[in-house]
Amino acid sequence: MKAKLWGTRGSVPSPGPETIRYGGNTSCVGVTLSDGSLLALDAGTGIRNLGLSLPEEPTRLHILLTHLHLDHIQGLVFFAPAFRPQTEIVIWGPASPEASLRDRIARYISAPLSPVEVRELPCDVSFRSTPETEWEIGPARIRAASVSHRGPTLGYRIDDGEDSLAYIPDHEPALGADLDTLEDEWISGFGLARDASLLIHDGQYADSEYPDHLGWGHSSISHALSFARRTGAGRTVLFHHDPLHSDERLDLLGAEAQDRWVAVGGTPEAVELAVEGAELDAHTRAASPLPTA
Amino acid sequence: MPTASQKPLELILARNLMSALSTPAFLVDEGGILVFYNEAAGMLLGKSWEELGTVGAEEWGALFGPFGRDGEPIPYDELPLVVAVRDDRPAHANFEIHSIDGTRHQVEASAFPIQTAHGSRGAIAVFWPAAENGTGS
Repeated sequence: MKAKLWGTRGSVPSPGPETIRYGGNTSCVGVTLSDGSLLALDAGTGIRNLGLSLPEEPTRLHILLTHLHLDHIQGLVFFAPAFRPQTEIVIWGPASPEASLRDRIARYISAPLSPVEVRELPCDVSFRSTPETEWEIGPARIRAASVSHRGPTLGYRIDDGEDSLAYIPDHEPALGADLDTLEDEWISGFGLARDASLLIHDGQYADSEYPDHLGWGHSSISHALSFARRTGAGRTVLFHHDPLHSDERLDLLGAEAQDRWVAVGGTPEAVELAVEGAELDAHTRAASPLPTA
Repeated sequence: MPTASQKPLELILARNLMSALSTPAFLVDEGGILVFYNEAAGMLLGKSWEELGTVGAEEWGALFGPFGRDGEPIPYDELPLVVAVRDDRPAHANFEIHSIDGTRHQVEASAFPIQTAHGSRGAIAVFWPAAENGTGS
C-alpha cells in the first residue's frame, strides 16, 4: 500500500513562494491499495491534482472524508473524474443526526457557493455514512472512528495485508487530557493508530502557538509526537500545516520534531513533516516503535 | 466506532470535561458500568477513582450507598444513572451517600444519557448538595 500526499495544508489553501516546498493545497491523500485500486482520503484542494493525474477510463473511486470542513471538501467540485459519466464515486463521511451526508455536502456543492449542483454531476456519485463496524474496499479493511475535533469528525485506518495506514489529519487528543499519563483506552484515536506502519497525523501548531488555539481541534508538535509514541506508530508524518507556516518555519519545526523523537529514543527518519507530492510506503516501519509506557 | 482498545469518543470527551469540573460527576458506559468519576466525586466519597480499583455494584452499595430517607439502600435499578442508560431519558433523585469514613452526605443527583448518531454511549450524573426542602423524587 502506498500513499501520495496531494495536499498537506490545513485550514485554507496557501499558495505562494513561501510555501512552495511543503505545498499550499489542503488535505488530500491518495492511497493505492495492493490490487492497484485507489482511495482518496479527504477532498481538499489537493484532490484537483489527484483527479488530473487519473486516466479518463471508467473508474470506481472511493473518497473517504474525515469531516466536512471546507479545507477537506473544497476540491470536490474541481475533481475532474466527477465530470465524467464513466466514473463511479462513492463518498464516505461521518454520520450526523442533523442531515444526511449528501445533504450536508450539497450545502457546498450548490448555489451560490458552487456553479454546479450535486444532481448535475455527470458521474455516478453516492454518499454513505461510515458504518460502526469495519468494512472492505477491495483488498483493504477500513475502519472509521470519531476523534476529538470540532464537529463530527472521523479518523481512518486502512489495513491491506501487512500494511497499515492511520489517517487522522484534524485531531486534538490532548484537549483536557494528559497524553503521557492517560490510559490507552481513554486516548482519542488510539484504536485507529495503534501499531500502524504509517501514521499521518495533525501537527498544525508549534508548541508555543498551541495555548492560543486550545480547543480549536488541532495538535501541537509535542502532542502529535506523544500520540505517535503512545500508539506505537512505525513512521509518523506530521500533516495539516498551519497556513501561516512558511517553508522555512516548517523546516525548523521538522528538525525540532526529529530532535525530540531522537531524545526519547527514536530514530530521526521515523518522524517527518508532510510534503505535497511526497510518496510514502505504508509498509515501511522506519524504526522500532518506542516504549509506549 | 469504539474499538476493542479504545472507549467511544463521547465517553473520552465526557471524561475530559468532567476532569475539569469541580462538581462531583460520574460516568457509566452503555452497559451501565461505572468507568470514571472525577476528583470532586473522589473528595465526596473519600477515595479517588485511581485508588478505588474495580468495584462491583454490591460492594459499591455497601461502601457508599446510596440510601433512601428511610436509611434503606436504593435498588440499583432505580439509580438515576441506571435509569438514564436503560431508558434513554434524564433522571433525578435525592438520596444519601456515605464517604469511605462513614460521613453522610445528602445529595441530589441528575443523570442524562449520552446520545450519539450511533445510539447511546452511556450516561453522566452530577451530584449537588441536597436542597434544604429536599426537592426531587
